Amino acid sequence: MADVTSSRQGTQTEDKPQIDMNMVAIAMHRRSRRLGLYFWIPMIWLVIVAVACIFAPFWGLPPADEIDWVYIQSPPVEGHPLGTDNLGRDLLSRIVWGGRVSLTVGFAAPFIGVGLGLILGLIAGYYRGWADEVIGILIDAWLAIPGLVVLLLFSVVFGGSLFMVCVSLGLLFIPTAARITRAATLNYAGREFVLAAKAMGASDFRIMRKEIFPNIIWPLIAFILIDIPIAIVIEGALSFLGLSVKAPTPSWGGIIAEGREVLSTYPHIAMYPTLVMFVTVLSFNLVGDAIRRRLADVREGAI
Amino acid sequence: MHMGEIILDVRDQRTSFATARGMLAAVDGVSFTLQRGRTLGVVGESGSGKSVLSRSIMRLLPGNAVVPGGSRVILNGRDLTRLSEAELRRLRGPEMAIVFQDPMTSLNPVLSIGRQIMEVLMFHLGMKKRAARARAIELLTAVGLPQPDVRVDQYPHQLSGGMRQRVAIAIAIACEPDLLIADEPTTALDVTVQAEILDLLQRMVRERNMAMILITHDMGVVAGRCDDVAVMYAGRIVEQAPVRDLFRNTRMPYTAALLASIPKVTDPPHRKLDAIDGRPPDLINPPPGCPFAPRCKLADADCDQGKPMLEGPAGHLFACIRPLGQETAA
Repeated sequence: MADVTSSRQGTQTEDKPQIDMNMVAIAMHRRSRRLGLYFWIPMIWLVIVAVACIFAPFWGLPPADEIDWVYIQSPPVEGHPLGTDNLGRDLLSRIVWGGRVSLTVGFAAPFIGVGLGLILGLIAGYYRGWADEVIGILIDAWLAIPGLVVLLLFSVVFGGSLFMVCVSLGLLFIPTAARITRAATLNYAGREFVLAAKAMGASDFRIMRKEIFPNIIWPLIAFILIDIPIAIVIEGALSFLGLSVKAPTPSWGGIIAEGREVLSTYPHIAMYPTLVMFVTVLSFNLVGDAIRRRLADVREGAI
Repeated sequence: MHMGEIILDVRDQRTSFATARGMLAAVDGVSFTLQRGRTLGVVGESGSGKSVLSRSIMRLLPGNAVVPGGSRVILNGRDLTRLSEAELRRLRGPEMAIVFQDPMTSLNPVLSIGRQIMEVLMFHLGMKKRAARARAIELLTAVGLPQPDVRVDQYPHQLSGGMRQRVAIAIAIACEPDLLIADEPTTALDVTVQAEILDLLQRMVRERNMAMILITHDMGVVAGRCDDVAVMYAGRIVEQAPVRDLFRNTRMPYTAALLASIPKVTDPPHRKLDAIDGRPPDLINPPPGCPFAPRCKLADADCDQGKPMLEGPAGHLFACIRPLGQETAA
């Protein structure tokens, strides 16, 4: 490659200023691989939100359920940077602690769904035959049950445990995850390297784990990236309806629901958590898009 | 571990596939033995059952394959047809291994080549990661991959076709198998690389005292590198002999036709190739007699009466009732 460019330079030197084509090529390549501001700005926001939520106990915020009798339904004042809610609880503290719930659900639900869907999809796509049939029918049956019914059922039976909220949402992601996994597995299960692994004594489980899984991980990561914001929004809606975690525990949807009651007089109570949730979900979508585009490049190019 | 020890004994191997049109007999009663240190070339045109035979020996057949109870594959004294899948898995790698045709597809694209060799070493030989890596580099050195300590961390797409096939060979020999099957190992490679890979395989067989089955459709490959040759046609071995004997004293008309169809450098230009007329028989409804009879110039009415047995004097077997060289033999 160096030979080609240098010979081209040789012909150009007489009339044109010398451009190092290699440097241009490298610069162009770098530019094409840059993630851009659409990635970095939302990413910074997500890091801020994540750090704020994960280390919530260390910021010296008043407890999320502590009532300040002096300031009730107050706009931002000294000591309450975002004001207080109907009961005089610090709004910033509630948003930060509520974010823990939202983010937990946002990450846990897709991973539970993709984890279970991965197992089903791998089995269906690798073994085909009756296993495929049975799993296919199970998934179709599962899709016939409306998601809201599942969520309501879990909320009634398990009464607002955070873990069960994650599980119920995760269950809703299983069908799509299983289908994506199955399709990707079908694509790879017939490849010769699978036969080659078998010829070297690998068991079915080993082939699924070591040969097929590394190949299908990219579509699954893309799927998780799409599902995180969806899970956050659904959890918000559930909290708004009072079907997520129980009342004293704050969550973004719950704070919005509480603020709704005084929306005309004290709009800031509903506005701040709505804004935070909106920007966070938007950021997840933008970051997810950027990463998925990048993964598509990787899949087309290097690998 | 001496030469002459019989590694592989295939007896009446039959493999059929259940298809939409009926039973397709891909391998139709193949028997042979293979000794340590020897290389058996299996030659035949596409669809003659070469690859199915190799997979039948490895017991790597797809779900619609049917093998009747009479077939036996005895490897190191163990009858593979009677082993469970778990027992077979323990033998695949340490006792038998296969190199596939296309190294482009037989290596996992998302695992480094070192990883793929280490997998096998850690699984079968119980090696620890560090030892397996060192051994992987040794193996890559043994198969002549340049800069093995750098290449070990590279991915298949970073290697050329020939290098990939070297890696595939390194994986196959990692557990020191007694039997190595090379299924058209050079078909997907550049002509310039073909000889190198074949030399490498031959060297590995000699150094490690393995037995090799070299499957190919190329008579030229067989000529220099095999001890014995089996010519397959329509799922059967139609002629089997020591390589020299097969070329000098061809008995089966099919083998003769195959040899005649190879263009020679000494031929005058624009000479018509001696292609074999007709097509291989339908394996679902095979002809009653010799499967080659419909295309054979020497065939007569007797050839349609029953399938000829594979037999012959002094290790030169042929399945033909009207063999060539009859005059000299009589």
